Amino acid sequence: MHAPVQVQESLIEQFTDSAIKAVATVEVIDRTPAALRDAILHAVGDAKRILYAPPQELPLALFSDFAKDPRVVADANADELVHSAAGVTEAFAAVASTGSVCINVSYERTGMVSLLAPLQVAVVAAETIVPQPRDMFRADVLDGKGLARDFVFVTGPSATADMGPLVRGVHGPHKLHIIVLR
Amino acid sequence: MATSVNPADITPRQVANKSDKKALLQALRMTLGVQSAAIRHNTQTFNNNRYAAIARLPDYNELKDRARQIKENAIANLPELLRQLEASVRANGGHFYLAKTAADANQYIRDVLVRHEVKLVVKGKSITSEETKLNHALEAAGIRVAESDLAEFILQVADEQPSHIVAPALHYSRERITALFKRKFHTDLPLDTGEELTKFARDILREQFIAADAGISGANLIAADSGSIMLVESEGNIRMTTTLPPVHIAIAGIEKVVPSRKDFGTFIELLPRSGTGQPLTSYVSILHPPLKAPTFAAPGKEPAKTREFHMVLIDNGRSRMREDPVLHEALYCIRCSACLNSCANFETVGGHAFGGETYSGGIGGSWEAGTGTLMNARFSELCTACSRCVPNCPVRIDIPWLNENLRQRMNHAQGASPGKFLFGEMTGSAPQDSVAPLQKQFFGNYNNFGKWGTRFASLANASIHMPGARSMMQSVFGVDSRRSLPPFPKKTWEQLYREERDGKQSTLKPGLVMLADVFTNYGAPERGMAAIRVLRAIGLDVVLSPAMSDGRAAMSQGMIDTATREARAIAPMLRRYLDEGRKIVVLEPSSLAMLRRDFKHLLDDDDTQKRLAQNSFEPLEYLWQVAQEQQTNLAQKFPASKCPHGTRLFYHSHCQQRTCNSAAQTIEVLRAAGFDVVTSSVECCGMAGSFGYKREYYELSMAVGEDLFAQVRRADQEGGPRTLVASGISCHEQLLAGMGREVFHPAELLASTLA
Repeated sequence: MHAPVQVQESLIEQFTDSAIKAVATVEVIDRTPAALRDAILHAVGDAKRILYAPPQELPLALFSDFAKDPRVVADANADELVHSAAGVTEAFAAVASTGSVCINVSYERTGMVSLLAPLQVAVVAAETIVPQPRDMFRADVLDGKGLARDFVFVTGPSATADMGPLVRGVHGPHKLHIIVLR
Repeated sequence: MATSVNPADITPRQVANKSDKKALLQALRMTLGVQSAAIRHNTQTFNNNRYAAIARLPDYNELKDRARQIKENAIANLPELLRQLEASVRANGGHFYLAKTAADANQYIRDVLVRHEVKLVVKGKSITSEETKLNHALEAAGIRVAESDLAEFILQVADEQPSHIVAPALHYSRERITALFKRKFHTDLPLDTGEELTKFARDILREQFIAADAGISGANLIAADSGSIMLVESEGNIRMTTTLPPVHIAIAGIEKVVPSRKDFGTFIELLPRSGTGQPLTSYVSILHPPLKAPTFAAPGKEPAKTREFHMVLIDNGRSRMREDPVLHEALYCIRCSACLNSCANFETVGGHAFGGETYSGGIGGSWEAGTGTLMNARFSELCTACSRCVPNCPVRIDIPWLNENLRQRMNHAQGASPGKFLFGEMTGSAPQDSVAPLQKQFFGNYNNFGKWGTRFASLANASIHMPGARSMMQSVFGVDSRRSLPPFPKKTWEQLYREERDGKQSTLKPGLVMLADVFTNYGAPERGMAAIRVLRAIGLDVVLSPAMSDGRAAMSQGMIDTATREARAIAPMLRRYLDEGRKIVVLEPSSLAMLRRDFKHLLDDDDTQKRLAQNSFEPLEYLWQVAQEQQTNLAQKFPASKCPHGTRLFYHSHCQQRTCNSAAQTIEVLRAAGFDVVTSSVECCGMAGSFGYKREYYELSMAVGEDLFAQVRRADQEGGPRTLVASGISCHEQLLAGMGREVFHPAELLASTLA
């Protein structure tokens, strides 16, 4: 058991480095409802409304403390979807070499919640970090979810160089915060 | 140039179609005058980022091999894959339409939108929809189209065609975008930074995303096994387009289909790195629509109950390309833009000159010809076959070869004339190539001009300098009068070699044969002699081959029949030396590249071709190899301190030399000998064989060269002028023209250190 854990630790480290290079922020926390709540609420700061798409894979109970915050909206209407400061979703996988998180866009409102607010918060389990993007296209990795799902590799915030200099924050989120669950 | 129009008065749309050569010349004038600085900055940023990104990808070459293999198989099995794809898309609950023509595709999409009573459609970036001119078709049906990629948004506002296949508006500087928006939107908002401009466009587009009834995307790749599409972007507009509206239409060319979603794993590593130089762009979507997620409806609107997806694949000439023995290779293209960003000419003028109505850059000619008509590919004349795109193409397309073939076809299409034919007879063109314009036959038959020129050197040189000679050269052969053709030497390399060899019979081993390439033989024989002295100085036996053309000059003019004839004549001559156990050394890098790379297209004897490719070397490449093996002390053998030209060098390697991986060794040798070497980092000097001599391309050639000259001036700033060194004969001429001081071959410097 010892060796795989070490590999995982180095993957977390590589993932963190890559995500920071891609201008995301990353924190690695313990897998408890209280720790997750604290981490998310710290990341969203004084956001007046927080969009939340309940997870498909992680236990719902893990988000229970966070979901109690009165600013959290789990069933946002259209107006709320386009006028909220932050969106919190699960990522079902992450990629160490690029610092990407993988978001299922066919599961409920995960796609919209991860896209429409200026701040995107993605919560990912450490054991779902794969070494390279290509690993998401293997049947023997994460039960082949990468071959079966509609998903998006999210690497940093949205960006453009079309207006001359590089600008972060275009149609998609302006900031990406990633919470890795140990 | 032929026109005196102010570059600012030419609009990109006017010169999009270049079947008339005048349009190409005007486009060059426009881009050099207005767009060049932004294009150079943006393409060189991509280029540098790509080099850095692929350097961090340890299995880059294996990935390229795999990508090539996948595409070769996919195109070979395309009809079967399309059938499989159709079944997959339908099984997913989507609709599938295979459009024969652009008009068919547009009509299908229009019908879908009309059926859904769509008033506004948002579009993600799709170059294929530029090819079909989809926006016009939809707008004619009363449907508003909102381009949501910021570059496409700029182009829609400006009414221009894309200038780059990945960053379609990269010819716009921030300042020009500000001016454009102020003019078109009549706004007083401050728009003086990238952030302000982005926010301005985002606010407009946010409303469109929310209000849109349908979204249209392209597809970077499509998997037949699952109906999956891969979409690569950074702005989030494609995610909006595919996630929010209830109706999603994806339009793409049939060549985007690969067998399996598993294949995406190879391309996802290569495509973003080869394009913008990012490990991944911000968003890479992997979808097999329709999505299962609930739909979005604008506040106050009823959300649609179900999602609908249409995959529209267009043929529009691609099946014909697939049958084409040469152009089928263009179907492997994954539109990454590495061939644009690594091209010195493209970096200087962009796709409004080096491009057509839709496609641009080195690969663009094949696409414009394949999806349109041959003469639409006229801009592919700007490909100098410098070959820098070749090692950078993730699917290993030999882009210069495609362009040389387009050139041949265009030569033929322009038709024969008695004058051209007579000229071809006199100068040595193959009969089929005698239809080429005189300028092309002049440069393509350099071999024979060199032969006459050196035989009657004093006469030839005097006549070139006679009053009126330059204007005659310009009007008849299109040689720019601002260029001086290098004078013919009194003695050829062959003659100098015979004189020196008199009485001295070499017995040294191992043996080399130096190819007396025609460029050195008739243009710079003293460099050739210097190279022989240097190789002999480390104990090698060197003989000189007879001077024969390797076909390079003809090939660069699209005179492929002439090139083939020449290649098939020189190959057996060189093979005999290999049979004697000699290796081949080639001084002129463009000739070396013929043996290493290009003969595979020209020779019909595979065994000879492979042996020539494997056993030919650039002289200092070979010297470095021997010096390593024998642990030769190069500082003792060629002490830089004895060089009368100084020890501080500025070295520019030749474009084709770099593609052959034969440039780094020269730098190693010079440094080991004790020289202080600063190197250039430009892709090409801009002369590129005969390109810079041509009247119509002189300005472009000098603008490309300016990049190199600026690097020399920067290097000179510390410690005074450096000695200029170049390995290619046309690089010499370009550096001489730009810097006005002597240029040496590396072998000449080494030879000068020998007692």
